[in-house]
Amino acid sequence: VKAVGARVPRYDGIEHVTGRTVFVDDVRATGTLCAKALRSPVHHAAITGLDTTKAEQLPGVRAVITWKDVPLLEYGHLSALGIPADEPLLAKDDVRYKGQPIAVVAAEDDATALAAVDAIEVSFEERPTLFDIRRAFDADAPTIHQWGNWYPHFENEMDRRQIRKGDVEAAFDRADMIVQGVYRPAAIEHAPLETQVCLVVPEASGRLTIHSCTQALYFSLGVVAAHLQLPLNKLKVVGGTVGGGFGGKVDTATETMCSLLALKSGRPVKWRWTREEEFLCSSTRAPWHMEIADAVTKDGWILGRKMLTLHDSGAYARFSPYGLTKHSFHHTGAYTIPNLEFDGYVVFTNRVPTTAMRGFGVTSVSFATETHLSRIADLLDLDPYEVRLKNANRIGDTSPNRIVYTDPSTVPVVKALADGMDVTLAPAYAAMTRDQRSGDLLPEHLVDQLANPEDH
Amino acid sequence: MNVTVNGVGRTVESGPLTSLLDVLREELGITGPKAGCEQGGCGACTVLVDGEPRRSCLTPVAHVEGAEVTTVEGLGTPEHLAPVQQAFTHHYAAQCGFCTSGMMLAAHAYVEAGGTDDHEAIQAALGGHVCRCTGYVKIIDAVAATARGDSFDMTVTAASAGMTNLGGVQ
Repeated sequence: VKAVGARVPRYDGIEHVTGRTVFVDDVRATGTLCAKALRSPVHHAAITGLDTTKAEQLPGVRAVITWKDVPLLEYGHLSALGIPADEPLLAKDDVRYKGQPIAVVAAEDDATALAAVDAIEVSFEERPTLFDIRRAFDADAPTIHQWGNWYPHFENEMDRRQIRKGDVEAAFDRADMIVQGVYRPAAIEHAPLETQVCLVVPEASGRLTIHSCTQALYFSLGVVAAHLQLPLNKLKVVGGTVGGGFGGKVDTATETMCSLLALKSGRPVKWRWTREEEFLCSSTRAPWHMEIADAVTKDGWILGRKMLTLHDSGAYARFSPYGLTKHSFHHTGAYTIPNLEFDGYVVFTNRVPTTAMRGFGVTSVSFATETHLSRIADLLDLDPYEVRLKNANRIGDTSPNRIVYTDPSTVPVVKALADGMDVTLAPAYAAMTRDQRSGDLLPEHLVDQLANPEDH
Repeated sequence: MNVTVNGVGRTVESGPLTSLLDVLREELGITGPKAGCEQGGCGACTVLVDGEPRRSCLTPVAHVEGAEVTTVEGLGTPEHLAPVQQAFTHHYAAQCGFCTSGMMLAAHAYVEAGGTDDHEAIQAALGGHVCRCTGYVKIIDAVAATARGDSFDMTVTAASAGMTNLGGVQ
């Protein structure tokens, strides 16, 4: 608490301004090889032939790896939570996105590594592609994933994340107006200035030292150990210095393949993605499709919400089921709506796999909800601040997943926003606090929720 | 080929078309300039050539034969920070740190050339530099402070350099 309000020097501040911070690409190991990948040039195909013989014979090439070199080919980023794996470390029978790695080469220099990649013989039989999540459910849509076009392994093997709360049909019967909206935020590339990079050094002791730009060091440790089928004590992951991540360095992108190359060549191996690879092949924030229908009263109370969400997972699941789950828990935004019917699907497409980015799963629905509340205010000719304050989370209200709020911040935040925008609130709203609802702010439709939060 | 880097004469063996960035990082082991895009688009590799900011990733080393090259390592040391380094520290203008050396060198050149604390002029001077942590406001504040010649008490910060706790906080 001493630090609050004090000028706290950054522990790495002086190192940053003097250029002494050691990023992964700044680590030097004698005899380091350069890695380059053969990536799928097509969005969706069967691999009909793969021959690395010529590449292996090029002078200066020290190791080439394909799926045959991976002790455990498929391991999911959520496997530790019991979620089945779907993504091979290196493509075996299929490629499902453009840029998917098929083989990786370690050579004495970049030019030799690139020549070796060119020398790999690979052939494909192209398949139809799917990029629009809205088409994934059509009978004639191409099937692009071994599980079908959407993730089928939520609890109890459900094929969607589902929330049911209260009596949504009764809320819609009572509504003065149904306000609908569709919200479709697009994919965003994190584009950190430091591209994906790692350096793996094989030690004389048999251990591997992995210098990683990961944002999630223990995820990387677990993922590498699982694919390599090595005990954790054979791996030393050195991290903590990230040249920008923003969620894009949560997935384990390079460490496992670099480790395999280091083991196979017996040499340190560095793999630094080019800016082009970063844009074309690295994970992005997901595109989303959100359909909202709210049952509202003419004075601006939201009685119920029906919502359908499609989350574009790209070609593989990675962390998407987790992201969609967070999304579902937050699908009313910063507001309390007692009657809910939410269905969310993790949809597979031939895009790069998507991942976390600044508020994983939540930013999308915050955007949708805030825009929707402004639409409601607009349609009902109400003050948008007042609609927000009315429906704001209050102490004692419950979230979509039935957590009782003890420390909600919606009321002070909306009031600060009004203040910052020089908006004068009506006295009743200006006096509002986040305390438990009472009086006019405990309308009939919320009485039962407050009395029986565990039932809501 | 002879190049002076941070005041020290160096003999370079890389070919004449090798990028200055590769020569600095890979041959001379000077890692302050960063490889962000290697297409001249981000500014992370910026160094000063005879005082002028230059994208080292797009500069063949032959172009700097006989010239004076300055990287962030030549600006100052933890004990003797240059004004721009003090300002970046004081204003928390470095977040992840990857764009910082290029930003500071461009800022240093701007101030040396007589640049003022006018925010629009600073934005123009740093226009080709990307900070994906999007900490631009603090960066501009730091450059403006440098241009004004603001002075900072760096004792607390310097004493805390390298520490991994809040030891400097009173």
